[in-house]
Amino acid sequence: MKLLSCPLNGLRNISEFTYGGEYHPTPDHQTTSSRDWAEHVFFHDNTAGIVIEWWCHTPSSFWFLAERNTLTDEVVRTFTPDELYTKSIIQHETKPETTP
Amino acid sequence: MTKQETNIIAPTLATRRSPLYRRHLQYQAHFKQVGDNIVVDSYPNEGAINDEIEIAKSMGLCDLSTLDRTGFKGVGTPQWLASQSFKVPVLANTAEEQSSQSLLIKLSAQEILVLSDLLFLSEDVKRLYQKAVENHQSYDQQIYNLPRNDSHCWLAVTGINATELFSKLCAVDLRSHKFVQGAVAQTSLAKTNAIIIRHDLNKTPCFYILSDISGAEFLWDCLLDAMSEFHGAPVGLSALQTLASNQ
Amino acid sequence: MPFGLLKYGLTKKYPAKHHFTPEKALKKHYDVVIIGGGGHGAAIAYNLAKYHGVTNVAILEKSYLGGGNTARNTAVIRSNYLTESGVNFYSESVKLYNNLSNEFNYNVMMESRGQLTLAHSDAAIRSFRWRAEVNQHLGVRSELVDRQSIAELVPNLNMSEDARYPIMAGLWHADGATARHDAVAWGYAKGACDRGVELHQLTEVEDIIIANGRVNGVKTNRGTIHCGAVVQAVAGASSIVAKKAGIALPIHCYPLQAMVTQPYKPILTPHVSSPQVHVYVHQTSRGEFVIGGGSDPYPLYNTRATLDQRETLSAAALELFPFLTQARLLRQWAGITDMTPDYSPIMGLSPVKNYFLDAGWGTWGFKATPICGVTMAALIATGKVPDLIKPFELERFYRFEQINEAGATAASH
Ligand SMILES: Cc1cc2nc3c(=O)[nH]c(=O)nc-3n(C[C@H](O)[C@H](O)[C@H](O)COP(=O)(O)OP(=O)(O)OC[C@H]3O[C@@H](n4cnc5c(N)ncnc54)[C@H](O)[C@@H]3O)c2cc1C
Repeated sequence: MKLLSCPLNGLRNISEFTYGGEYHPTPDHQTTSSRDWAEHVFFHDNTAGIVIEWWCHTPSSFWFLAERNTLTDEVVRTFTPDELYTKSIIQHETKPETTP
Repeated sequence: MTKQETNIIAPTLATRRSPLYRRHLQYQAHFKQVGDNIVVDSYPNEGAINDEIEIAKSMGLCDLSTLDRTGFKGVGTPQWLASQSFKVPVLANTAEEQSSQSLLIKLSAQEILVLSDLLFLSEDVKRLYQKAVENHQSYDQQIYNLPRNDSHCWLAVTGINATELFSKLCAVDLRSHKFVQGAVAQTSLAKTNAIIIRHDLNKTPCFYILSDISGAEFLWDCLLDAMSEFHGAPVGLSALQTLASNQ
Repeated sequence: MPFGLLKYGLTKKYPAKHHFTPEKALKKHYDVVIIGGGGHGAAIAYNLAKYHGVTNVAILEKSYLGGGNTARNTAVIRSNYLTESGVNFYSESVKLYNNLSNEFNYNVMMESRGQLTLAHSDAAIRSFRWRAEVNQHLGVRSELVDRQSIAELVPNLNMSEDARYPIMAGLWHADGATARHDAVAWGYAKGACDRGVELHQLTEVEDIIIANGRVNGVKTNRGTIHCGAVVQAVAGASSIVAKKAGIALPIHCYPLQAMVTQPYKPILTPHVSSPQVHVYVHQTSRGEFVIGGGSDPYPLYNTRATLDQRETLSAAALELFPFLTQARLLRQWAGITDMTPDYSPIMGLSPVKNYFLDAGWGTWGFKATPICGVTMAALIATGKVPDLIKPFELERFYRFEQINEAGATAASH
């Protein structure tokens, strides 16, 4: 992987991006035990194969997700977080426009 | 627009200084005051003002860092700006010139950058800033002001050879037919993050660059170094203003 | 003389001796199965056999002995870490290394030429001072040195004040050393096999058999084996193997790259490392300059070498040693490193009974090979966790008691 396609900015050199960790649904703040929090924070699936992970396009600070094969280093696809997050944490409906 | 005697104005007179003012002093720049801002009028060492216009037409570098700019972010931003009678760009990574000549740049679906015009015709940035300060309570986490005066430096690279320069420093294709008027690229320039905006001065190609203010001197030096093979040089704001206003 | 050697080689009076187990069938049962035939696996087997009399042991290696990170590392040995747990642990290892050739009667080419870490900022000097204090307190030779001393230690280092990151001070570690990595793995494996341990190469563990929370065997590509205990020492495959035992680990795998130049005449004595410009350099006794640095920017299970890394490593190496401009690169390679959040290993008990962990060795595990052998063998043989490795247990993450060695590890190895 030398190029990555940012949903906002298009195809760019991999050096413009920062890896942001595996995607895991955020645990429920009210009910999660501290043992489960520890696992959420420190532990990783570390899968050898296709994973979903966070990336940030550094010049625009734009966070998005990628499906990538960690054995072959091929990107299957990239997509915006609203595919997985239907409502924002502060309870506003977000309807991002499509971008070029 | 107040035009004062140019050669007696020191860049340290105003509270807001360009992060590059020491560089300008090295070049023995003449400064001028426009509104509250002190800008480089010209660099007499480089020749007469007409020569500077010629440089700007071929390849010039200008520091606009003391000119006003601001930004807004949040889901309500595009709508709110439209309600303030601004023409809001539809697509992310495009810019829209307003009738007041200020420039709105859409950085993402929820983020807009506002740049003042080079001739100081509009007070848009000041007005929006004021409005945001007065009304921020009522925005209910839908609109956040992102002041940009002190976060980014603002440079302009001008002239028909500008794209030659970028091909050395930037991986995005900025050639005229690919990167048209109003196009925006948020990318890496000389290994530092930058927002690049194509905003021509009439027939003269012009690229605004906004980049982290703490790296301003680094970027300025990189650009000048990369320009030397094309005989590019620093130019004052007056040259750009002339090119912008000559129809 | 050459004829004498030939005669010696061909005579039946001195038959060639196998270093390791000749190829043979797997037994149905072993007391201990060691997954991974790297330096760590071999060292554990050696200590079980020699010091605990446990010889019904199999080392299962999916590829060949010492072909993993043991073959790929840059062989830096040192103990100038930051935490008490870290310094005590690694300094025991350095002591064992100093006697390893005698222990084996086999030359591991230990060379104690010292290690110099460079500070290019006030913050780095502060943290070096802190490390030096901790190190000295625990009996490790480690001191803060000024520019003058640095210039004397490494006369050809770029000490210019006009550099992008001028050198301000250094952390000098006289105990720093290197050793021949292959020899370490071979020495341990030979000593283990001499005492009855079986090394099975091309034998991959495909699954782990657990009943009632206790391990009792492994499935391999060559059949199923029953056993009393299992230890995994598989470095870059740590998460994959642990998952087979139902164990999740706080590990992320990143490639780490290094490269080496053609040999030149001796000019650089100590190992020099700069966490700020992200590079470390030493010259081997063969004359090659070994150049390493930071990990790849994102996780991957792939040992390709990249042009990006070649460029950044070269640029950084030239920043410190401009005389290398004309040097030619011979090789560049990568290994998969099992990185933990606190840059300390995960050793000891696991949630599965009789299943032991030797993982999370990231970019720093070669230097720990001897002490891992000693402590893990003691744990397996006696069931008691040695004090030296107690702090590194997996449970520490649930207690939020990380052992932060990030600063003392970055780009220093
Ligand atoms: C480029 C580079 C430079 C480094 N530099 C240093 C340094 O200077 N100093 C330092 O202290 N450390 C350094 N390290 C780290 C060090 O190399 C490792 O931490 C150390 O070698 C780990 O040893 P090991 O025996 O646990 O692993 P390895 O030598 O990797 O052995 C693990 C073995 O397990 C086998 N295996 C995996 N899965 C299975 C399976 N399912 N069944 C059977 N076998 C399996 C593998 O084939 C492999 O041979 C460096 C690492 C790299 C990549």
